Amino acid sequence: MSDQKVFARYKANEIVTDLQHFGVKKFKSNITRRKNALRKIIANLVLGNYGEMSVLFSELLKFWQIEDDLEVKRICHEYIRVIGALKPQQAREALPFIMDDFKSRDEKLQIMALRTLVLVPVKELSDQAFDCIISLVNHKSPPEQVTRTAIYALLDLDEIDHERVLGLSSILHDIVKAQSSSPEVIVAALHTLYSIHEKNANMEPFRIPLELAFDMLELLPELNEWNKATVLEVLTTSVVPQHYLDTHEMIELALPYLQQVNTYVVLNSLKFIMYLLNYVDVIKETLAEKLSNSVIALLDKPPELQFLVLRNVILLLLSRESSLLRLDISYFFIEYNDPIYIKDTKLECLYLLANKETLPRILEELEQYATDIDIQMSRKSVRAIGNLAVKLDEDSVHDCVAVLLDLLEFGVDYVVQEIISVFRNILRKYPNNFKANVTELVKHTEVVQEPESKNAMIWIITQYSDVIPNYLELFRVFSSNMFSETLEVQFSILNSAIKFFIRSPTKETEELCMDLLKGCIDHENNPDLRDKTLMYWRLLSLTKTSRISNAITFESLKSVLDGELPLIEMNTKLDPTVLEELELNIGTIVSIYLKPVSHIFRLNKTKLLPQSPILNPNKDLLPVVGNSFPPTGANRDRQNSESQSSTKSRKTAMMDDYDKPAEKINQLKGKRKSSSNNPSKLSRKPSTLLRKLSMKRPFS
Amino acid sequence: MISGVLVYSSRGELVLNKFFKNSLKRSISDIFRVQVINNLDVRSPVLTLGSTTFHHIRSRHGDNLWLVTITRSNANSAAIWEFLYKLDAVMNAYRLDREEALKEEFMIVHEMLDIMLGGNGIPIDTELNSVIAQMSVKPVRNMGGLLDSPDGNDVLSSSSSPTSSAGELHFPKFLTKRSSSFLGQGDSTSDFYDNNKITWRPKGIIHKKDEVFLYVNERINILVSRDGSILKSYVDGTIDITTHLSGTPICRFGLNDSLGMQSEDEKKWLAQQQRHSGSDFGNKNFIPKAAAGSVLLEDCKFHECVSLDKFNRNHIIEFVPPDGSMELMKYHVRDNINLPFKVTPIVTHSTRDNEIDYRITLKSLFPGKLSAKDVVLHIPVPPSTVDCKISVSNGHCKFVPEENAMIWRFNKYNGLTENTLSAVTVSTSDTTQLNLQQWTRPPISLEFEVMMFSNSGLVVRYFTISGKDSKHRAVKWIKYISKAGSYEVRY
Repeated sequence: MSDQKVFARYKANEIVTDLQHFGVKKFKSNITRRKNALRKIIANLVLGNYGEMSVLFSELLKFWQIEDDLEVKRICHEYIRVIGALKPQQAREALPFIMDDFKSRDEKLQIMALRTLVLVPVKELSDQAFDCIISLVNHKSPPEQVTRTAIYALLDLDEIDHERVLGLSSILHDIVKAQSSSPEVIVAALHTLYSIHEKNANMEPFRIPLELAFDMLELLPELNEWNKATVLEVLTTSVVPQHYLDTHEMIELALPYLQQVNTYVVLNSLKFIMYLLNYVDVIKETLAEKLSNSVIALLDKPPELQFLVLRNVILLLLSRESSLLRLDISYFFIEYNDPIYIKDTKLECLYLLANKETLPRILEELEQYATDIDIQMSRKSVRAIGNLAVKLDEDSVHDCVAVLLDLLEFGVDYVVQEIISVFRNILRKYPNNFKANVTELVKHTEVVQEPESKNAMIWIITQYSDVIPNYLELFRVFSSNMFSETLEVQFSILNSAIKFFIRSPTKETEELCMDLLKGCIDHENNPDLRDKTLMYWRLLSLTKTSRISNAITFESLKSVLDGELPLIEMNTKLDPTVLEELELNIGTIVSIYLKPVSHIFRLNKTKLLPQSPILNPNKDLLPVVGNSFPPTGANRDRQNSESQSSTKSRKTAMMDDYDKPAEKINQLKGKRKSSSNNPSKLSRKPSTLLRKLSMKRPFS
Repeated sequence: MISGVLVYSSRGELVLNKFFKNSLKRSISDIFRVQVINNLDVRSPVLTLGSTTFHHIRSRHGDNLWLVTITRSNANSAAIWEFLYKLDAVMNAYRLDREEALKEEFMIVHEMLDIMLGGNGIPIDTELNSVIAQMSVKPVRNMGGLLDSPDGNDVLSSSSSPTSSAGELHFPKFLTKRSSSFLGQGDSTSDFYDNNKITWRPKGIIHKKDEVFLYVNERINILVSRDGSILKSYVDGTIDITTHLSGTPICRFGLNDSLGMQSEDEKKWLAQQQRHSGSDFGNKNFIPKAAAGSVLLEDCKFHECVSLDKFNRNHIIEFVPPDGSMELMKYHVRDNINLPFKVTPIVTHSTRDNEIDYRITLKSLFPGKLSAKDVVLHIPVPPSTVDCKISVSNGHCKFVPEENAMIWRFNKYNGLTENTLSAVTVSTSDTTQLNLQQWTRPPISLEFEVMMFSNSGLVVRYFTISGKDSKHRAVKWIKYISKAGSYEVRY
């Protein structure tokens, strides 16, 4: 029976027989079998078999008493943690056993017991947890790991009984201030205090005096990576520098941690430094360089972390008018094997990094991606080219448009549709520059299928009807299907028909217009569409009657319906207050979504820059100065000059620069052979076949 | 921070759940299964529903398990993903990365999580060696598990190179035998675990033979455009170290990076180079001449045991290593890269017969004495291809229809050698000119591995050990391994 799989659904009595069967005799082999039976309980809890398993409570208690094997204990505790929430009575009954474990000498057991007390939402247990914690911190030389667990347990208990935890917080303050406990315990106390302040909306933000902050920073080398990161996390916004000198000193102390392998440490130290940069008079060029290099080096991480870093790069690029980061665009070129979420994010980075110098290289890349197999990717890169054209100045737009026109020739329908869509935006910004290309665009009228590109195409045909001789013919492609279109396209068709009529009130346009108006009123049910149609109708009839009443002229109607359009601007900037908040949340979940904390996590507090006499009102005015320290200066110069020239030289770096004469050149020999298994080969095989057959072996 | 950890099999069956918060409903695991595992459209490794966020990774080993965390507030994603990868590494060391094994021994993962995550789900200690030291059960292949870890990390970071599978480093056999190097390795490991300053190294380790193995692993990433210009090129390197040293040794080593090479040190080093002797590692002459200069490290990242203070002040890399294996540092180089291979493709589309004509030269640029292994050139062909007529000057080349590519493979490739491939594709009869013209031409990619060659030119100049109670001289070994990261050539 014990040879059965552990991970399968069992009935309670099956496990009971297992346990009883092997429970009595004290043979060694029984121990493992008994354990297996106990494991089945946990497996069944994972499978959601709570009803059956809760029956086993009394069986389990027997083993809890007699076994001192850690694994059995762990199973018992895990059981209570799960079942206790469902059956509080059982949790209460198990309390003495949990306390026995807490009073044992084994630290691991103590920790286990403490955590169980906290994790089961039953009042008796949490009360007991408070007592245990108080007894622990009052202990003269409490075991370290247990103390740390106790301190962190307060965080859970805070959700149950905030007032009571608050009463204990003075003990934590003492631990932090005294700096006499082991570093781990100090960090735990600090972190718990910080988190309690963060969690409770009615509490003031946590503040640390300057001296303590320096103490903590000097403690960093002794801590392991997680604790390092925790300290840097807590210090951000908690310590408020009052003098420039303090700020610079703290930056110096935090700088080395940009060089840890752990992304958590690097991003937290980056966050801390970015926070401190709100309280400086100048920024050193070398600092900017260090920050950028450490960010770039993180791109070597597994894809998920890479994704996080890239999202934070976007954040940092947005955060200042001219970003602090010095990043070469080539790091954001997409690799064929990148997961799609990284490709997307890199595309966004490229878009943000584009300027006059980098544009040619970026466009070349984007053109590549536009022919990518992944349709989404291809669309997004076309869209990016279009957005760049609108974002950058007039010189660059011609390059972007040239690329788009190239891609148009590529002729794949989704690329064409996307190009039509973005072209509308370009034409909105530069209404007169690309008139000549419009005829090229409208050749693809038949291809457009999606609502957005249809809309765009209709708009283009309407707006540039003066350069398209057969515009009505093209327009009819859409208007003839008016009643099977989506609402937004219907609106566009209606608008355009009216505009055509107003511009040139001929028989043809009038007929077209009236047909559509009538059709909408007769066949359509959508109230918006009907309202709009009626409005047009009435306006038009007003002008007909206006010759008598002079109520409204045809001219004024024209200016209302077909007026000048305002120019569009590309606005990628986020709200500065949102940016400020995001910068204090580097590396967290909101830095992925780039949204303020309050939009995603309603209960979390919004982080704000604390006031200080040296807080910079506008970080864009902050000067970035070259390094004046000689020791590494010579080398930096070399690098600077290189990075300046590198953008140019790298552009021309050719594969052919890397060459050496080969010592041995293998020549092609023979003719090309087909690599797949040619059916004709079979005919040459009979000899081997024959041999196999003739092998004298008895058939078995 | 982390409210719960879930582990699913690759098919989406929940195998393990452990919660660190009592406010979570147990049924939350169904939500992730429905929203992410069973949803093919999901393209992001993070999902937030309401105020609950799921971060997930797929295990890089074994059965590609889903490792998932649940958080309820604005947690730090960097911490979570780092933690998940560490968990993956520890589970791998215990061979619990397979569904079947995990379904039997899931309690070991419970113990792991108890050690790695403190109260409130805050990661406290995730270092492989340290976690193993605290576990009541040791991995079956004790040292093997430790030794594999840096290479395992390598697999993590180089998702695109399948060649770097675990267990590829070759260790002398006697090493794997010594499984009980910890002195007091018994029940109460936490007793001798010195938490004071060096949390990663227990006191009183004794080895019969003191040895250090350094591995300089480099992956070169390069992207070449159609006209042969190099769009991007950089080298990501790691230095992995395996130490078997007695006592509490303080190791120190120097690289030929340009920042560290400013002082008289440099002259000494150059003089040493000319003499070609007296260096710590006798095999330095294998490193190509190009490496004799200095290398500009754009950035380096260190294991937590390296004293960052010292590095920033004097550019000395000094550390007390944990016993066993670890990734000591990572670095990034962009300038003056030694390219080991050059690919020159000429791909034309002959209008006559609807075929694509390939002429590709592959030339090795590393010294003739060295040779590369597992050289694979992956040459995409249009999807409509049914066959390829191939002729190669050496190696084997095969058309693989399921990948839409020709795979040109060399088991061994000597330095300074040039080989040529010539091939034409045969397309299905209904293929049109337009089909071939619109073919997106995915880049040609190259994989290789060259021993004792450094893409970046980085060289370890010296390695000294000043231990307290090491009586005999430690034996030091070094190995340079250069691999392709993503080596892509457009055409």
